[in-house]
Amino acid sequence: MVKRVGIVFVALMVLTGMLFAGGSSEAKGKETLSVWCGYPEMEAFYKHAAEEYKKLHPNVEFNIVTHPLREFEQKLSATIPSNTVADIIDVSVYANQKFIEAGFIPRMPEKVGSFVNAPGRYSDFARKNNSYKGVMYGVPFFQGRTALFYNTDMFAEAGLSGPPKTMAEMYEYAKKLARRDGAGNLTRSGHSLRLSGQGSGVAEKWWFVLYPMGGTILKEGKTPGTYHAGYNNDGGRNALKYYVDAVHKDKWDDHKIKHDAEAFQLGLTAMFFRESWVIGDTAKKAPNLKFKTALVPRDARWGRITNIQNLYVTKAAKNPDLAWDFVLFMVNDANQKWMLDNVGWLPARMDVDLKEIIARKPQFEAFVATAPDYEEFGYIPIGPFDELATRLAERLVAAFMDASLANNPAGIAKVIADAAEETNQILKRSNFYGE
Amino acid sequence: MKTKSTAPAARRRGLSEIERKKRVFAYSMIAPVILIFGFVRILPIFQNFLYSFFHSSIGNPLEKFLGLANFTDLFKDHLFILSLRNTTFFALFVTFFSVIFAVLLAVMLSSPTRGGAFYETVYFLPVITPMVPVAVVWKWIYDPTYGLLNYILSWFGVAPVGWLVFPDTAMIAIIIMSVWKIVGYNMIIFLVGIRDIPESYLEAARIDGANTLQVFRRITLPLLRPIMLFVLVISTINSYNVFTQVFIMTSGPQGAPGNAVRTIVFDIYENAFRYFRTGYAAAEAVVLFLIILALTLTQFGISGSRERRERSRLKRKGASA
Repeated sequence: MVKRVGIVFVALMVLTGMLFAGGSSEAKGKETLSVWCGYPEMEAFYKHAAEEYKKLHPNVEFNIVTHPLREFEQKLSATIPSNTVADIIDVSVYANQKFIEAGFIPRMPEKVGSFVNAPGRYSDFARKNNSYKGVMYGVPFFQGRTALFYNTDMFAEAGLSGPPKTMAEMYEYAKKLARRDGAGNLTRSGHSLRLSGQGSGVAEKWWFVLYPMGGTILKEGKTPGTYHAGYNNDGGRNALKYYVDAVHKDKWDDHKIKHDAEAFQLGLTAMFFRESWVIGDTAKKAPNLKFKTALVPRDARWGRITNIQNLYVTKAAKNPDLAWDFVLFMVNDANQKWMLDNVGWLPARMDVDLKEIIARKPQFEAFVATAPDYEEFGYIPIGPFDELATRLAERLVAAFMDASLANNPAGIAKVIADAAEETNQILKRSNFYGE
Repeated sequence: MKTKSTAPAARRRGLSEIERKKRVFAYSMIAPVILIFGFVRILPIFQNFLYSFFHSSIGNPLEKFLGLANFTDLFKDHLFILSLRNTTFFALFVTFFSVIFAVLLAVMLSSPTRGGAFYETVYFLPVITPMVPVAVVWKWIYDPTYGLLNYILSWFGVAPVGWLVFPDTAMIAIIIMSVWKIVGYNMIIFLVGIRDIPESYLEAARIDGANTLQVFRRITLPLLRPIMLFVLVISTINSYNVFTQVFIMTSGPQGAPGNAVRTIVFDIYENAFRYFRTGYAAAEAVVLFLIILALTLTQFGISGSRERRERSRLKRKGASA
């Protein structure tokens, strides 16, 4: 009996050993790269890039996960400090800066650095807005530039022949384009403004109007690298008045109607500001929608936001060389073009020829067009930017709901002054404040 | 006195070898569980208390000792005060309505009726459904343009309401959804309590001429008091810890206005995991802990004093008889 048990035990041990040996020989040479992104529409791109990469490197497997942006930011907060994050993350500088400053994100190797710094490859703006103490940590991948989307059928119906050229014109157009039912409820907004929502999004969208009006969220102080609130001025007050009047005075937008890309695709708004991904998204969700895009209208000055999205290799990467190799593969000419054509995000590289795609899809034109006085502005790469923009957004959300601010310049000035005070307090607490 | 102090020792000495081995075995079996529980549940509480006295950064939660500065800053922070007010409002209403509705449902379902088990299941289903999908579904129900609720209200000529959009209605909307989610759990607990009441008590009361309401007031409700205490404590703790539904319903371009429904745990989450002010968030967590502890002790205190009053009343009654 004992002998029989012994034989069975030995046989089991041998079998287990063979299984493990077989497994390890099979696993030999296999590599897995994990990639996380906060833009679900980019999943198609990652899958495409992974398939193409596997043709060249059949031993590499991919684990691609995308989340809605805010959930993605949470995931990074929990996983970067605990070193359980993916090998590659696709994230903008405003969300990643605090981790870079805390030393959680490694610098790029020399080979990648020489690719990024090649003359003419990226704009000076992209380089400056992605550097921390003169060093770039991520490879610029795509850019969130803003343009005005407008529904050409609705414009024609309202007798408008083209897009608005100034902020004042945009306001008047929105009044003409809004529609109401018999009870006076808004059934179509003239211009879909971002009036509510979580995180810093509301402040970012308000910035689109604020900047042309002469304000900005942060203004650099006399000492380089220091900042103060840049909206406690006429620009800030006028931008808030623009929103308050839209909702409470002329009522061409309200809180109850649908907003953002969904509203545009459902025909519930005539125009709105957004990035180029909406073109790809609308092609899938509302292929018959007739729309064009235009440059952001001007006011005291002219400009659009450009938010660069970067690819970072993390400290959790088991094979950083392979991860960086895949990053460089994703930003090659063919993949940058594929991304624009199939997803709609605008490539960050300047040296990729996009003419053929733009000729086929002219809505992209407004995102690449430039003019000498058409400025670019964007997130300031400092750790507390996310907090101060989120706090500002929370105050704006409350202000947009406050009907008492209509025809109330003193009330508007107080909202702006209080918000600026909070912004400056956060900067002081973080040692970034400067007059 | 001497006898008292030596008795346990004598008992210990009197343990048989088998009994001693049994105990060693039992303690060694539960030790891993106690160790894991202590490590993942108890230790973090003490750590949280420690962090609340420090300024922290992402990489170093004990960067600089601040003493009570985090706590004094808290009470100057308008967002914390707002969160505290919102959470108290939420907890008060959710606890009140979830207990009232649960008692009513439990009373209705306690008598054996056809389909009783079916209704119990229906009311309990929201409890076992995860909060995230539930919150997403309710967000759709509350949608101002295409939401089911506004659609139903439109049959009665009610104009579309921006349930989650306006501060006045956003908190009420989240309270309704939270009561719906928790009421089934409370109902089951009350149902167990009601079914545990001996039928002879109820029968005796009926023979004495008590009507249904009197039976409920004089027999059922007093005997449910320990269950009521349990439900109140659990509901209060859960309500003060509200987070998921608030987070889901404030997300997206059509989400509820963040500050109108800002709760303490949401504020803790933002400070800790968005801005990495871990020490400050730990101080908020300590305040939340103390509030819940105080409320729980108060509830126990109120219930205890009622019991004492009841006992002394019965004693007096007995003496006079």
